[in-house]
Amino acid sequence: MADNEIKTPPALRMNNITKAFGPTVALNDVSLKVKPAEVHALVGENGAGKSTLMKILSSVLTPDTGSMELFGNPYSPKNPIAARNLGIAMIYQELSLAPDLTVEENLTLGIEPNFTGILKTKKIRQLALEALKVFNHPEIQPQLKVSKLSVAACQLVEIARALVAGCKILVLDEPTSSLAAGDVEKLFDLIKKLKNQGIAVIYISHFLEEVRKIADTVTVLRDGQIAASNLPGVTSEDKIINYMVGRKIEQLYPRSNRNKGKLVLEIENFSGTKKPIAASLKLHSGQVLGIAGLVGAGRSELLRCIFGLEKIRKGKIKIGLYLGPASPLRRWYQGAGLLSENRKEEGLALSMTIAENVTMSKLRSFGRFGLVWPSRQNQNTGRWIDKLAIKCASPLQRVDELSGGNQQKVAFARLLEHNVDILLLDEPTRGIDVAAKVAIYKIIDELACDKNSHKAILVVSSYLPELMGICDDVSVMCKGRLGQTHNINEINEHNLMQEAIGTA
Amino acid sequence: MRKILSLLFILSIAFLTSCSKQAPVDKSKITIAVIPKGTTHEFWKSIHAGAVRASQELDVEIIWKGPLKEDDRESQITVVEDFITRGVSGIVLAPLDNTALRRPVSEATRAGISVVIIDSALDSNDFVSFVSTDNYIGGQKAGEHLAKLLNGKGKIAVLRYQEGSASTQQREKGFLDAIAKYPDIQVVSANQYGGATTETAYKASENLLAPLRNADQALSIDGIFTPNESTTFGMLRALQDNAFAGKVKFVGFDSSEMLVKALKEGQINALILQDPMNMGYLGVKTIVAHLRGEPIEKQIDTGSVVAAPENMNDPHIDKLLNPDFAKWLTTK
Amino acid sequence: MNVPLKWLNRFGLLLALLAIYLLFIFIAPSSFSTMRNLETIARQTVIVGIAAIGMTFVIISGGIDLSVGSIVAFSSVFVAYFLSKTHFSPLPSAVCAVAVGSAIGLISGFLITRLKVVPFIVTLGMMLLCRGAAKGIAGEQKINAPYTWLNEVLASLPPERSWMILSPGVWIFIFLTLIFAFILRYTVFGRATVAIGSNEQTARLCGIAVERTKVIIYTLSALFASIAGVMQFSRLTVGDPTVAVGLELDVIAAVVIGGASLSGGQGTIFGSLIGALIMTIIRSGCTQMGLENWIQEIVTGAIIITAVALDRLRHRKS
Repeated sequence: MADNEIKTPPALRMNNITKAFGPTVALNDVSLKVKPAEVHALVGENGAGKSTLMKILSSVLTPDTGSMELFGNPYSPKNPIAARNLGIAMIYQELSLAPDLTVEENLTLGIEPNFTGILKTKKIRQLALEALKVFNHPEIQPQLKVSKLSVAACQLVEIARALVAGCKILVLDEPTSSLAAGDVEKLFDLIKKLKNQGIAVIYISHFLEEVRKIADTVTVLRDGQIAASNLPGVTSEDKIINYMVGRKIEQLYPRSNRNKGKLVLEIENFSGTKKPIAASLKLHSGQVLGIAGLVGAGRSELLRCIFGLEKIRKGKIKIGLYLGPASPLRRWYQGAGLLSENRKEEGLALSMTIAENVTMSKLRSFGRFGLVWPSRQNQNTGRWIDKLAIKCASPLQRVDELSGGNQQKVAFARLLEHNVDILLLDEPTRGIDVAAKVAIYKIIDELACDKNSHKAILVVSSYLPELMGICDDVSVMCKGRLGQTHNINEINEHNLMQEAIGTA
Repeated sequence: MRKILSLLFILSIAFLTSCSKQAPVDKSKITIAVIPKGTTHEFWKSIHAGAVRASQELDVEIIWKGPLKEDDRESQITVVEDFITRGVSGIVLAPLDNTALRRPVSEATRAGISVVIIDSALDSNDFVSFVSTDNYIGGQKAGEHLAKLLNGKGKIAVLRYQEGSASTQQREKGFLDAIAKYPDIQVVSANQYGGATTETAYKASENLLAPLRNADQALSIDGIFTPNESTTFGMLRALQDNAFAGKVKFVGFDSSEMLVKALKEGQINALILQDPMNMGYLGVKTIVAHLRGEPIEKQIDTGSVVAAPENMNDPHIDKLLNPDFAKWLTTK
Repeated sequence: MNVPLKWLNRFGLLLALLAIYLLFIFIAPSSFSTMRNLETIARQTVIVGIAAIGMTFVIISGGIDLSVGSIVAFSSVFVAYFLSKTHFSPLPSAVCAVAVGSAIGLISGFLITRLKVVPFIVTLGMMLLCRGAAKGIAGEQKINAPYTWLNEVLASLPPERSWMILSPGVWIFIFLTLIFAFILRYTVFGRATVAIGSNEQTARLCGIAVERTKVIIYTLSALFASIAGVMQFSRLTVGDPTVAVGLELDVIAAVVIGGASLSGGQGTIFGSLIGALIMTIIRSGCTQMGLENWIQEIVTGAIIITAVALDRLRHRKS
């Protein structure tokens, strides 16, 4: 083994990589070794640091400390283009093809064979045909427009593009999340072919049965650290899951005694345009109900359908005394509020002040005859700034000048200011530091337990320990379907993960 | 970035300051604002030249300033207002509209600034003199000449200039009145307008000509009249592009280098020439005379002549066809 | 941030206005510093200024309205039409013209929100449509109208009415500016406008009636363009369907100089007022200096770019 390593250096070696974003440590002393002609699976929960690590590999991010080697040579590209030229190819979940160009134009985009700017069309066609030959997919014609192709075919085109560009290390990020079962098999065949050509494949996935099928080696990341490295590909799912979630629940999550009160939200057989599919749940005041699941399972869509931001196709919904679908405006009026998972694009108007953001849902209550008195807005906002310890100069500070955690507190303050009875929280702690997380857990606990407010809270989170820590009950969503509600004392992270992956 | 911007800013200020040097304010000198309808037509350049000539002879200052948007009434009103505010000694104005310019002119008069109207009429009595071509007579001359060319019979078309432009309406009227005396001449179209620019006139000409074709694609009309430079040039281009030039008797109004060339080549049969240089010259001369307390006529005709290929080498006509305005405008 | 910089931030635009005014006092003829000149500048700012009030709302909401110039012509033609053809008295004529003009904005608003066509295209279409309609109603010529008190609204004051200090039209403009500066700052509608421009998704999430607000905004813009059209008629004394071609660009420039962002969420009515004043001062100063038109156009272009670029730079620093 040792001899072998001297003869052929690993395709990629990442040594002691550390990367922090402000106070949040995304990667802590992570090392990774990928051999040529190896399919190396990288698994871990959302936020474990997989994508940060891959961004460092492709030079979108630069590490704080640590070094990299490519086939034994030091590797420190200046930018993503340099990384690509050195043979690193990334295929993301969201494909990055130009839909209005043809397959061959996409394949050679940026590296078009040309003579003083004039394209050599014959050469392009030849290159494209050669690249596509490997795939054995005759339906992908070089002169076809990409917008006409299926998602699976687009993915193949993108992989082909990586080959045309001469890639040596191919990173596939959740490649099967948008593929049908048959296409997955075809993709695996292709990965095996690539492997035979000596290309190293880094395979990122949540779906552990796929990992077992295709991977030679598995590395598990957890909380920005290596939980286990170089496990053989045949390691059991149970064992991998243990590595993924294997931490103790800390005293991070305050929990007072909660009493389930009256039923405030009930949905039955509830379907959106695509997701959710026939979901049913009951939410009581004084209850914190968590919804677990993988990214793309349809959890956000469930909340958005409830809140009226997306269309409801069929099913029953009852909020408090109100039956049937309603606009967001009505929902606020009915006493429900939504915290968006997408703080920057939807949750907050970044160019407006804290006060404007906190009071935006109830502008009418700051004066009569449609008037809005800023002094009252500021006064009310000031209260929440104190209560939630939002670090800012004044209520009149623009939101985009705040840190992520404080921004999230501002978004949260809107629900508190509106004094809603039902809080729909979509990833309430995404991308914020531990201190802010703890603060938000504390607020959630107080809201649910406080005899006076006795709120009902529905939380979507991809972070299982968080759900285990703050919720009374948890449901799991998998591929648009909502499972039954489990009491938190009767279930563990392991079972939840299995249910989310769909192997339970 | 900030440095570059500051530099730009300073440069533009310096530019402005240096420009202001060109128009020094001399209190003792009479300052006359000359306000044309536009600044890009050759006609107005000739007026400008005439005004400059008069200013040099009379030792007065003139400010030549057209509306910022060519042929825009509001723009011209604004220019007049600004010169009232500046307190010039007198204004020579070619009004874009016979009613819209009344108020600013009376405001000028109220502020003690005398106004001489040139080129087009104004429905008001608040000016001291009206210096212009007698457009009606000019139009009549065109009508008589075209009738003579057609031997008193045939079909003709008129491409009008623009509604509200008094001078060209006078010409069109004079023309049609003269033609009316010939019963055998039939006016097949006289309701199309060429609009403000050569471009619009060109399009209007094509639209006018399109339905006037015979089955064999030849034109079904024998004569055309256009009442100013832009319509004449637009019509000429339309005729040339459809290979009709020279095959139809064509009488235009005003001149430019291209029109003179066409006249020489027989594509235009006659041009009615005003004397714009004389108009600019007399406009300034009249207002200065008024300011110096000399008696002046209430209406002054600057005259018009028919230029045809046979008389275009006469010295008098030649001077009108090839005005030497460059001499006056370059020396400043 | 230290104190002087904060002041500069708040009053930077006003300082720019003052600087440009002082610059012209320095280089233009002495007449430029007279009260009469200030009065003329005020009168000449009214049309662009009034249209800019509506445009400020549109631009703050993240939209654009290209139909303003055409609506000005449209309503000026209608005033003349009502006065001369239907023999209305002046006030009903003006009110009817404003009503007809505002209806255009209502239609634009509905097209933008219901058909989800971008404002640029809808108002571009409306621009051509209104211009054509104005020409059609006027029979492709100006409409002469009887001379009424309406024509005195924006004229310089005759000596016997000098107690009014400024023309009635200027007073109307000042009044509208104050009212709508208040509405933008202190009403639910105003706040909703800013919220939509700042982040439409957030506004929707917060239960703001995005569609309805947008319809109101475009109607307002047309309403102000129509009032500007009445003012335009007052100045011209005739209904001219070819007037105010490209006026929308002057209006947009005024609003943008005034600190509004074309991507929405930012801008103030007073800023737009100052922007409009800056445009008038440059134009008037250049005319009084007797600058040739081509120089004037270059100078105006340079000043617009410089002003807006400096403003953006200032924002980036802070």
